[in-house]
Amino acid sequence: MVSCLMKKRTAGKAVFLFVLSVMFFPAFLNTGFSASFSPAAAYAGTDAVSPVAHEETYTHPPAPKLKAQDYPIVMGINSRVFVWMAAQLHLWFAAFVLAVPIFVFIIEAVGMATKDERYDKMAYEFIKVSLTAYSVTALIGGLLAFSLFVFYPDLMRYMTRLFGQTMLLYALLFFAESATLYIYYYGWHAMERGFSKWAHLTIGLLLNAVGTTLMFLANAWVTFMMSPSGVDAGGVFDGNIWHVIHNHLWNPINLHRFVANIAFGGSIVGAYAAYRFLSARSDSDRAHYDWMGYTANLIAISALLPLPFAGYWLTAEIYAYSQQMGITLMGGAFAWLFITQAVIIGALFLSANYYLWCGMERSPGAYRYTKYIKYIAAVIVVCFLVWFTPHTLILKPWELKALGGQYHPFLGPLGIMPAKNTAVNIMLIFTFLSFLLYRRANKIAVVSWAPLGRAAQAAVFAGAILNIVFLGVYYGYFTNTVYKVASSVPQVASTLTVIAACMVIDFFMFKGAKDVGELRWGGIPQRSQYALFLLAVSFTWLMGLMGFIRSSIRQHWHVYSVMRDASVNAYTLTIASAAKTVSAAAIIFMAMVIFIFWLSALSSKKQDKPLPLGSDAKNPKEGGGIR
Amino acid sequence: MKKPDGANPAKLLWFVVIVFIAYVIFKSPGWFMNKPIPGSLIMMYMFFAVVAALLVMTSTDESTQGLFAPIKALVEDPSKKIIRNAVFVIAPIVGALITYNQIKPGFDAPVELRATHPAPPTIMKAYDKTFNLATLENPFRKLQTENPEKFKEAVKEGGAVYFKNCFFCHGDKLDGKGHFAQGFNPLPLPFQGKDTIAQLQESFVFWRISTGGPGLPKEATPWLSAMPVWHTFLSEDEVWKAILFIYDYTDNAPRSWVSANSKKDG
Amino acid sequence: MNIFFKVIIFSLLTMGIYTLFATNYIPPMNSAPVPAEETIDLAQMTIQQFIALGDKIFHGKGTCTLCHNPVVKRAPLLDGVAGRIGERLKDTRYKGGAKDLAGYIEESMRKPSAYVVAGYGVTGSNDTVSPMPVISEGAIGLNDVEIKAVIAYLQNLGGAEVTVEIPKGPPMAEGKDSAQAATLPAKTGAEIVKKFGCGLCHKIAGEQGAIGPDLTKIGAKKNADYLRRAVFDPNADIAPGFPPGMMPQDFKDKMTAGELQVIVDYLAKSK
Repeated sequence: MVSCLMKKRTAGKAVFLFVLSVMFFPAFLNTGFSASFSPAAAYAGTDAVSPVAHEETYTHPPAPKLKAQDYPIVMGINSRVFVWMAAQLHLWFAAFVLAVPIFVFIIEAVGMATKDERYDKMAYEFIKVSLTAYSVTALIGGLLAFSLFVFYPDLMRYMTRLFGQTMLLYALLFFAESATLYIYYYGWHAMERGFSKWAHLTIGLLLNAVGTTLMFLANAWVTFMMSPSGVDAGGVFDGNIWHVIHNHLWNPINLHRFVANIAFGGSIVGAYAAYRFLSARSDSDRAHYDWMGYTANLIAISALLPLPFAGYWLTAEIYAYSQQMGITLMGGAFAWLFITQAVIIGALFLSANYYLWCGMERSPGAYRYTKYIKYIAAVIVVCFLVWFTPHTLILKPWELKALGGQYHPFLGPLGIMPAKNTAVNIMLIFTFLSFLLYRRANKIAVVSWAPLGRAAQAAVFAGAILNIVFLGVYYGYFTNTVYKVASSVPQVASTLTVIAACMVIDFFMFKGAKDVGELRWGGIPQRSQYALFLLAVSFTWLMGLMGFIRSSIRQHWHVYSVMRDASVNAYTLTIASAAKTVSAAAIIFMAMVIFIFWLSALSSKKQDKPLPLGSDAKNPKEGGGIR
Repeated sequence: MKKPDGANPAKLLWFVVIVFIAYVIFKSPGWFMNKPIPGSLIMMYMFFAVVAALLVMTSTDESTQGLFAPIKALVEDPSKKIIRNAVFVIAPIVGALITYNQIKPGFDAPVELRATHPAPPTIMKAYDKTFNLATLENPFRKLQTENPEKFKEAVKEGGAVYFKNCFFCHGDKLDGKGHFAQGFNPLPLPFQGKDTIAQLQESFVFWRISTGGPGLPKEATPWLSAMPVWHTFLSEDEVWKAILFIYDYTDNAPRSWVSANSKKDG
Repeated sequence: MNIFFKVIIFSLLTMGIYTLFATNYIPPMNSAPVPAEETIDLAQMTIQQFIALGDKIFHGKGTCTLCHNPVVKRAPLLDGVAGRIGERLKDTRYKGGAKDLAGYIEESMRKPSAYVVAGYGVTGSNDTVSPMPVISEGAIGLNDVEIKAVIAYLQNLGGAEVTVEIPKGPPMAEGKDSAQAATLPAKTGAEIVKKFGCGLCHKIAGEQGAIGPDLTKIGAKKNADYLRRAVFDPNADIAPGFPPGMMPQDFKDKMTAGELQVIVDYLAKSK
């Protein structure tokens, strides 16, 4: 079976290489280049073109102005939807396979530091899950490139001219990524001891460095289309590739995608663990997968917390690049997409909290804290309702009649940004409170100053909440418009201060703390696992939706303000049709992920026969570093 | 180790009470202050209130058991046969009623976004000429100080214009509650009180009367307003006199230019 | 029930709720149609129609109302610009060279920072830098006629006399005559020469035009990039001995990308 799988993998790679070569080389050689090179080709007295020979004669033409006839129609396929689906699937898989090595590396390092083999085992299982996904990523990437060249030949010719060098680098890095990944995975057991373990960890670091660079390169292509730089208004390249790569939105997207990938990868692994937990037959398996799900969820949520701030930065930079683009994003028809996003993010927070609350069932000492759950929930729900209350309301005629206008006298103030910022910060703080309670559910502090420590923590919480509310209310409603958004930075600072301060106090307060009883890994109720599924499904869907927004705020431009999209599909979709497409893509993605998990489960059955999974993970203690 | 008091069968009742309280809170602005929270929003609020209540109540095992025990008992306990049968009849009927109410055909106009206070243009066209709203004044207003007798007369004539044309919708007390008022959406404007015409300049009122609903800018959904285009029915003087009347009758004074000028920008 | 199906059903339900929310809860809103390049016969146009054209551009393609609108007030309202022109031009902060209302409006579109109304500058610039994009370039990219139409519209809106004259001649871009757009792209160099009338001026493909440079052996002297630029932007390089500004500048709008490719190929191989 294993060898069969191996064959499959190699087969997959072979197919990919074939696709890659079929695609990229004609792209380089095809009409685009041959046209610009043809005078030289004529000198040589032949039509066959060798790209290298003509590099010198090559300067830069402007972006072509296209007409609807310039877009090939292949078998009546809707080119936009086809490319969209391929891109979205590629993005999901790529996000997953880029994210997993990041936290595998961290977990492996934690395992080395704590000398706890369970971490190592779990890290190995994580990377195994991502390995099959890797070939699928490459395959779909090939499909994406192929469909782009087929359906948008002129755009791709222009892009290839600009980014030719980086595409070559991309291909090289892709091989480096494959090589390091395979060494990292297959060398795991061979390099388990002593110095070679360090070498192994270094390969992990290398793998992440290569993977992240790959993503940054691809991001440059995407962000160039949103915020072109290094070309003039007609699209003529200024000759410096760095100007094109380092465009206005490149770094904001890099950061946003990096963080979001980790959250997404964590959530997918969490869903995997949840599924294995639910179908586990033995207590030891249950304990192992409970722990794995817990860790994955922790990773996902930790990455989710800073994500809104990365998003703010990206949005601010979009506004800074083009006010028109910014207003299209937040003010026009897309504004309702952000309400959808708000609803889903609220659902994410609720389910993350629910998972923590249910997780208290593992702790014998949790009964001391369960009574606080309802208050935390109440605060989170109130914040959440503020968070998604829209400014412009959907009114039935009789409601419009009663209110006299589109704005509600009581709800109106909740619709604007300061209220949302305040709400989301408080929501974050109370989610953190859930986590804090979960952490201490099974512990009794033994240090003498414990009451003082608790009081200090309470004071930090109260101070931060007061500060956030004051900033939100004062700057949001009693000062000039200019300050409205400015207050968000100190608000975020308050939230981060609470998290940092309380973690530090906790660390010292619970040093050598007494356990109430033995922690029961696997004792979490089954229903809690659905929170993990919700997390994975919501992340997937939300990524698809936000991808649609990111791409479509360019409106009828291929390359914003430089190269116009003249195809029949240049119009902006309604939210409803976008949502349907995203759902269709997400269902395809889910089906593929299930298939991949099934494959990896199949291989693990054979491989791990002598060492059943989780056999020694009966009662992993609460983890140290990664808790 | 469970918290010793075990399953609490009153949980289900609590759940119902909490959901009900949430519903009352969301509905109360509409019930008591005539400022209803829109139904679309209440639906979302209630959805998350119910979900959150469910999540909290299923966060521990004994609480979950407490919540579902009555339902389980209803389905399984032989002694509850009568209640069970009753519930099995009532629940589908309630569901059917809700579904029916949701999908039955209605006569509501499609949802539209409307600005109630559109900004006036600088110039307007009526009576085949162009008026500059920034400098336009009521030609009869100066009589108030110069010739109070004539002013009274003009107000009286304006009253006649009002009661021949406007009162059907705007009401005999100028309170916006005329005979036909309830037929319109948006409602006719009341002139009583300090928050309508008292806030406006006479030129604005002149603009609104003479060009009517169709003269509204797009953001104010001109297709919804029933106000006629009065400059095709009334003379210029009649409109100005009617304006005198509505201010005089409601004891309001038009907003003056001085304060308005400070709002100008650009 | 099988765990697998439970999980599948749960996931599909979750996604279904999200989809339902997006499709049924959110009010359907049609996005603005893709702005088309205007196709209007200027010679037949009255000044009223020209003003109406400006109105349409102001509210549509020009996207002016995204900011210049009374609700959001991201930019000054323009209905009173005619009344303020006197003080504007006398203002010490005014950096432009306009002499009258039309000039002032045009300048504000081409050089938005020439005068920034107090309070509307980019934050931190002390009202010296305008957040407004250059209207004649970039994503909005109005052409000269469209800019004139907007000026006419704004003059009329402000109650001033409309001084703009309707431009003569054909610089209205793309799709000027839809008949041409409907014809299939030409396939060979000779076809293109015929279709676009190159031979009227140039010696090319058997035609004997004498107004422009001889193109029969141009490929021996110039490379493809030069030729492409020469078609796109005829005044970028002027062949010695020929006056600039003679060649039509709208081939970049008339030709499809494929046609451009073919003609450049054709010229490059002519030697």
